[in-house]
Amino acid sequence: MKSFETYHPIVLFVYFVSVIGITMFFMHPIYVSLSFLAAVLMNSILFGAHFWKRSWVYVLLFLGMAIINPLISHNGEMVLFYVNHNAVTVEAIAYGMAIALMLLAVLLWFKVYNDTMTSDKFIYLFGRIVPVFALVISITLRLVPLFKRQIKQITQAQKTIGMDYAVGNIWHRIKSIVHIFSILLTWALENTIETADAMKARGYGLPKRTTFSLFRFELRDTIVLSLIGILTIGTVVGSFIGNTTFYFYPTFSPIEFNWYNVLFYIIYTMLLLLPVVIELKERWQWRSLQSKI
Amino acid sequence: MAILAVENLSFTYPDEEECALQAIDFSVEAGEFITIMGQSGCGKSTLLRHLKRELAPHGTKTGNITYQQTNLADLEARTAASEIGFVMQNPENQIITDKVWHELAFGLENLGVDTLTIRRRVAEMASFFGIQKWFRQDTATLSGGQKQLVNLAAVMVMQPKILLLDEPTSQLDPIAAMEFITTLKKLNQELGLTVILIEHRLEDVLPLADRVIVMDKGTIQFDGEPTALLPTLSQLNLLEALPSSMRIFYNLNGTGQPPLTVKEGRTWLSKQAINQTMLPIQEDIKRQPVLEVKGVYFRYDKHADDVLRGLDLTIGEGELFTLLGGNGTGKTTALKVLAGLEKAYRGDVKVFGKKINKYGHNELYREVLGVLPQDPKVLFLEKTVRLDLETMCTSLQLPTDRLQEVVSLLDIAYLLERHPYDLSGGEQQKAALAKLLLLQPKIILLDEPTKGLDVRAKQQLAQILRSLQQQDVTLVIVTHDIEFSAKYSDRCALFFDGIVVSEGMPRTFYSGNNFYTTAAHRISRNQLVNAITPEDVVTLCKS
Repeated sequence: MKSFETYHPIVLFVYFVSVIGITMFFMHPIYVSLSFLAAVLMNSILFGAHFWKRSWVYVLLFLGMAIINPLISHNGEMVLFYVNHNAVTVEAIAYGMAIALMLLAVLLWFKVYNDTMTSDKFIYLFGRIVPVFALVISITLRLVPLFKRQIKQITQAQKTIGMDYAVGNIWHRIKSIVHIFSILLTWALENTIETADAMKARGYGLPKRTTFSLFRFELRDTIVLSLIGILTIGTVVGSFIGNTTFYFYPTFSPIEFNWYNVLFYIIYTMLLLLPVVIELKERWQWRSLQSKI
Repeated sequence: MAILAVENLSFTYPDEEECALQAIDFSVEAGEFITIMGQSGCGKSTLLRHLKRELAPHGTKTGNITYQQTNLADLEARTAASEIGFVMQNPENQIITDKVWHELAFGLENLGVDTLTIRRRVAEMASFFGIQKWFRQDTATLSGGQKQLVNLAAVMVMQPKILLLDEPTSQLDPIAAMEFITTLKKLNQELGLTVILIEHRLEDVLPLADRVIVMDKGTIQFDGEPTALLPTLSQLNLLEALPSSMRIFYNLNGTGQPPLTVKEGRTWLSKQAINQTMLPIQEDIKRQPVLEVKGVYFRYDKHADDVLRGLDLTIGEGELFTLLGGNGTGKTTALKVLAGLEKAYRGDVKVFGKKINKYGHNELYREVLGVLPQDPKVLFLEKTVRLDLETMCTSLQLPTDRLQEVVSLLDIAYLLERHPYDLSGGEQQKAALAKLLLLQPKIILLDEPTKGLDVRAKQQLAQILRSLQQQDVTLVIVTHDIEFSAKYSDRCALFFDGIVVSEGMPRTFYSGNNFYTTAAHRISRNQLVNAITPEDVVTLCKS
């Protein structure tokens, strides 16, 4: 997903909210299956063989979740057999499988989300809502490696003056660890004063602070964002005229394939495959560029 | 027209009787490069902080500071923040955010500059400083020198008219320091930026300065061209701070314009009468080996590269051994392996003939081996130095009279009631050394002990090391400080690419090197065979 990743964080975020939202809300066998298949496709493009090697985990998850429903729900008209006088019905099994498939699809979409929305993009998005948040995260992220390194240095220095936390009786160990953290705390507080000075010296605290980022909202972002918007609205409209409605109980409602049903399935498929299409388009462009050279 | 003027400035810290600054008067013309020097505690940092309104210390202040004819206190907040830039000593503590690009943008964000302008200014600065290669990196992955360059660039994007720097290179190795100073020179000469720099490593700085201000006890003792410095400095006993060529010139009672650079020093020396060309070479004393390293390999991670690649080293009893080398060559790692803090995956380290891993866990660090870390702060725990030392004695059940011994040996009685964090760098080091000496180590390993120290503190450190040597303590020092090593060590070695590539007595070692050698040798190489310190040159010329 090299090329999809490069779109503006807002575009990416809207896309994932839309796809994951629709997947969770519309428990229609066609919709759920489409979303699941698209998620599998995305994962195999992103993670390749690594994803397939671990696919047995998802099969197990699917089976586990699918089995639970018929064991606790005994609604439905098509009874297969009885366990302890409780009916096991086809509807309950189907519903369990649909739920399992939906959860799996959401899980797989989140994997794609995690890979695409790196922390800096996330921080950027929330920094737009609460500007201080972005700065606080940025400062904290800097302190983590700093503290890790300092703890190592303190630990080694303390070891050489007989305060090794890894040897001796439990009392000595606790004392050594307390020492290490006490030193770290003093050191951190002392340094913070200097950092605060450096912030003041560079004008922190002046009114009307702006937030800068390296992300740019380009024309292609506008295009893709509008596409996502149109396709999402299309799917929602489809839902209003009943295209996403499906009942498992008391027994299955029919799945129809009229021209307008198919139209809405296609709209949803287009939404799901948008990143793949972008990716393919870019690859094709590269190939044609190379062949010209 | 003066861009900055200080009139009759006096300042006293709260709860102190003595003035930190007394009747300071000077003015700065636009485009000047001014160096401020003086011993630690002379008030130079206090003065510099007064020039940056946001950092001015609290206390009672009289007198006036004006920036472009406006009183500093009446300056508009945005102007004050952007037009007067300040770079501090510690590269680490000034970095605020996690990404280099964010660090560069931080100041402009505060000023409320719009995204497009920030993008342009950041791009300009990153290109000027050659930062573009690590522009998107995490700040934590940078080296000290890179960090300090980022700090400088982060101030420069705000387009200051005056740049104030408080010992910006003291935590850097010589090469990074040189690079930093070169950048300052470029800023001064190509952009006409006014620079006021506090520095005690004058070898590189003095030739760049238009003016030098020497401070002592809160007053200005000298304000003028660098070439006219000598009388004031000899009076204040600060000659050691000067570049080697100036010291040679002074000690040989030279007349006329003193030479500032190595090049000028060479020209000047070539006209002087020379008595002898060679100093006698001392016999290498046969010493009992106490620390032996044989074929040691080390890496931090299974998949990482080797840092030590078959290191061989033997250190004799009671000697002062310095291990030199560039930044990031693995000197500190070598020291950690010698100290048993990191384990070699191949090869042996023997301490007093016994393998280091055969020592019990408390055996090694009691009465055998001690380590003085680069940052002494990692050793301090208590509110005062005295409490810190006493706690150490009680928790390790050491005899209390030892404390007294150590205090008198290091002459630190006057520090005992103070908080370790309030001490100067040199004092902190002494306090840390005291803590180590309570354990009576026979071998002490010191990591960059001269880093950030001024001339006086270095001399005191050297004295302490000498007196420890007299008690047969073996000292192993890892350092960048060529001049210190040349002057005080018994033997030195050059560490490169995981091994020691050459070693010897300082005189033969430094006169054998072409580039990696002292300024005094570079000045005198054409005429004298083995002079490595200014004192050597003087002896050979005088006798």
